Amino acid sequence: MTRDAVIESLEHYFDDGGFWDDLARRVAIKSCSQDAPFRPELYRYLNDEITPYLADLGFESEIFENPQEGGQPILVARRHEGDDLPTLMTYGHGDVVRGYDDQWRDGIEPWEMKKEGDRWYGRGTADNKGQHTINLAALKACMDARGGKLGYNVVALIETGEETGSPGLREFCRQNKDLFKADVFIASDGPRLNAERPTVYFGSRGVFNFTMSLDLRDGGHHSGNWGGLLANPGVILAHAISTIVDAKGKILLDDLKPDPISNSVRQAISKLKVGGMEGDPEIDPDWGEPGLTPEEKVFGWNTFEILAFKTGNPDNPVNAVPPKAFAKCHMRFVAGFDPQVVLPAVRKHLDGLGFNNVELTPDREYMAATRLEPDQPWAKWAIDSLTVSAGEEIAVLPNLGGSLPNDCFAHILGLPTIWVPHSYPACSQHAPNEHILESVSRSALRLMGGLFWDLGETDRLPLQ
Amino acid sequence: MTRQHAIDAALAHFDDPEGFFEDLKARIAVPTESQNPARLPDCYAYLEEDMRPAFEAMGYACRVYDNPFDGCGPVLLAHRDEGADLTVLGYGHGDTVLGQEGQWKDNLDPWTLMKLGDKVYGRGTADNKAQHSAHLAALKAVLDARENLGFNHKFIIETGEENGSKGLKELVAREKDAFAADCYFASDGPRFDVAKPNLTLGNRGAFNFDLVLDLRAGGHHSGNWGGLLANPGIILASALATVIDVKGRILVPALLPPPITDTVKNLLTDVTRETSAGGPAIDDDWGEPGLSRAEKVYAWNTFEILAMKTGNPDNPVHAIPPKAVAHCQLRFVVGTDWENIVPNLQAHLDEQGFGMVKVQPSTGGNAAFFHAARTPPDHPWAKWVRAAVERTTGEACRMVPNSGGSICNDVFQDVLGIPFVWLPLSYTGCSQHAPNEHILWSLTREGLELVTGVYWDLGDPETAYRLERNAA
Repeated sequence: MTRDAVIESLEHYFDDGGFWDDLARRVAIKSCSQDAPFRPELYRYLNDEITPYLADLGFESEIFENPQEGGQPILVARRHEGDDLPTLMTYGHGDVVRGYDDQWRDGIEPWEMKKEGDRWYGRGTADNKGQHTINLAALKACMDARGGKLGYNVVALIETGEETGSPGLREFCRQNKDLFKADVFIASDGPRLNAERPTVYFGSRGVFNFTMSLDLRDGGHHSGNWGGLLANPGVILAHAISTIVDAKGKILLDDLKPDPISNSVRQAISKLKVGGMEGDPEIDPDWGEPGLTPEEKVFGWNTFEILAFKTGNPDNPVNAVPPKAFAKCHMRFVAGFDPQVVLPAVRKHLDGLGFNNVELTPDREYMAATRLEPDQPWAKWAIDSLTVSAGEEIAVLPNLGGSLPNDCFAHILGLPTIWVPHSYPACSQHAPNEHILESVSRSALRLMGGLFWDLGETDRLPLQ
Repeated sequence: MTRQHAIDAALAHFDDPEGFFEDLKARIAVPTESQNPARLPDCYAYLEEDMRPAFEAMGYACRVYDNPFDGCGPVLLAHRDEGADLTVLGYGHGDTVLGQEGQWKDNLDPWTLMKLGDKVYGRGTADNKAQHSAHLAALKAVLDARENLGFNHKFIIETGEENGSKGLKELVAREKDAFAADCYFASDGPRFDVAKPNLTLGNRGAFNFDLVLDLRAGGHHSGNWGGLLANPGIILASALATVIDVKGRILVPALLPPPITDTVKNLLTDVTRETSAGGPAIDDDWGEPGLSRAEKVYAWNTFEILAMKTGNPDNPVHAIPPKAVAHCQLRFVVGTDWENIVPNLQAHLDEQGFGMVKVQPSTGGNAAFFHAARTPPDHPWAKWVRAAVERTTGEACRMVPNSGGSICNDVFQDVLGIPFVWLPLSYTGCSQHAPNEHILWSLTREGLELVTGVYWDLGDPETAYRLERNAA
């Protein structure tokens, strides 16, 4: 068997419906980590779906309770071929965001995969079930091709809390470093630069969420009898927000901005082009930090968002001065930026402007930003393998615009991290109508088949 | 029988546990939410099964009119014609705002009247069922005592007030003869000082509109698209910050009234606004700088964000929201260019670079549009009602040029062309339009006393209001 034969077998797997069946089965499990009632589904995903699949591949699986109270279960599966062989660590997450069942377009729904043209709809198709389904299938194909051997050991970590910020994952990795001794980390999540362009990235922007809230009094008061006498919290909070980020999305606090973009990162980014593909939303060129290219804004800069804002009863407004208002705020930041500066800086800023009564509360554990220099040996190895399989120049991102718990692997476990994303930007990840593209999924199977085959060519690896 | 007999009889009914409380309890139990289309049958039931028999028992002829607008609440007109020279028009509204079930303290049911100390809770107690119930009780006491009123009386009970009184103006214009009267006396809204009664000679207008920013079809992942896609919540926050400053001052001149006149200023010099027990603390640095509390509420305009939403506030996700909406309201006094609020505000936003934010009249259940109205403070009818109240209290009764809230006075001002005077029987801490709406039992009792006195005096030849005085 050869590298080409592996790729061909994966094409058969896809074309014969094997991939559809594996993924449809996984999408049907409502493993939403954001709603407590779905918790049994997380266990079901690991116990009934992933464990048996990996057992067939000779993995021994163990499900660990999350070290953090309320955190979700974590599956660790190991396949050992030899002490002298290199070890691959891989990762996926079996949980998904809420279904938002009633918000999907007619004819499609979150928990039953449906095909329409090139699109396969379903919650988790893009994030992340489709992606780890591709990778596990590629490992299987490589093993079949080498007569039941991969040529390396594998440790796989499948968590089920990623969509709630991967609680406990860092602690778990810290406590179980021995389980995860490896030479390289390869996994898949997030989107390609665009659907057509195979992509590799070596880190991610970090994420930090916090709530700005203003609670002025108990209850609403008639806006006629009291209008003019009672401060309106919606008005005040809108003002507070407008002093942090301007009407064109520019962050106004220096403390919330990253260091200037380095030349090497700027250079890597300059080969990238975001948006402009079918299904992509139209980019707002005037939005964000002035003077940056759109690609620099996503891959090289911090962003501040209002994810949600509420005052009063928006669904049934009544004629009353509302008592409180809150805004769910959200920052994405690049490597080198310390999110722990955010709240003190915003606090000081708001106090200086008289917004002392606006409260700031961190919403959950932040995710640190990571980045691996594109000229590192493992990075070059991956770029070469993927380029051969793709037959064209691939997109190399110093980091993803989105966020991953990659600091667990890059910082805590100290592994070179290689991410090969199989989704695309307009996949409606985290929103109704989530989907993957059939064409991208088929191409992704080829890329991963080649990459996991090449990992078995031990003498060509940049092993230390 | 004397004035005092009538008042005593009214109070005896009030104090009877089977009396006023039971009447009101039955009325509160009808969930007449006019902002909920499913409650239209309840609005009919309120008029046909409670108001009509109550008025007919007092010798009023009743007719229930369908609202000229489909799906809007019916209107009852009760008429007792004694062949007198003077015809007085009264008013109440049987509808309420939404119950907001589940949001009340101690999980009180909004539709079950509950007395806790001096506070009597229930949706529609303050606004307006207890108030028109007081009028009915007063009329009954006067009729029992005197066997006639001594004047002709018409009484409107509409069921769409909380929905902007939609259709009332059209109905009254169409049936002008049926609704015609010489002067108007009714109760709604709060007195400004819980301790003392006051008359209210008009109302602020209210216009609800939405600021809508709809940038694209759906949400997009904030990591993949953050920095590339404009965030409607951020833009709308900035846009609103150009309309009203951080201390509540309106920044758009076209949304402001003309300067306050000396007459109004004088009327308001002895009017104060204090918060009452359980009421909210007043923010004195809020609103137009340099105005007194009373001037802010009774003589100036206010801009509110009633509600605002972007994204999924209750379950936020990591996506750039596609849309943001602020449900806003302007309360305005007589003289404001209310007809051009939408274009004037849109022009302001356009000029500030926020042309993508669209101003639209509200379409929701609270889509209020009330004109501002005011009876001149020196009108004979205003002076006559004040004197009638003072005969009961024995002390000066204050008048405010208009209420802070809004009501359909323009129907009486513009369509019927009659002077109108309100004697509000609620207080400002009543949580009207919010959970925990209530009346003060003691204040309602005092109100019943005052209203009974007014109806007595209207029909007493010694004190009656004479139209020729008006003509002079």
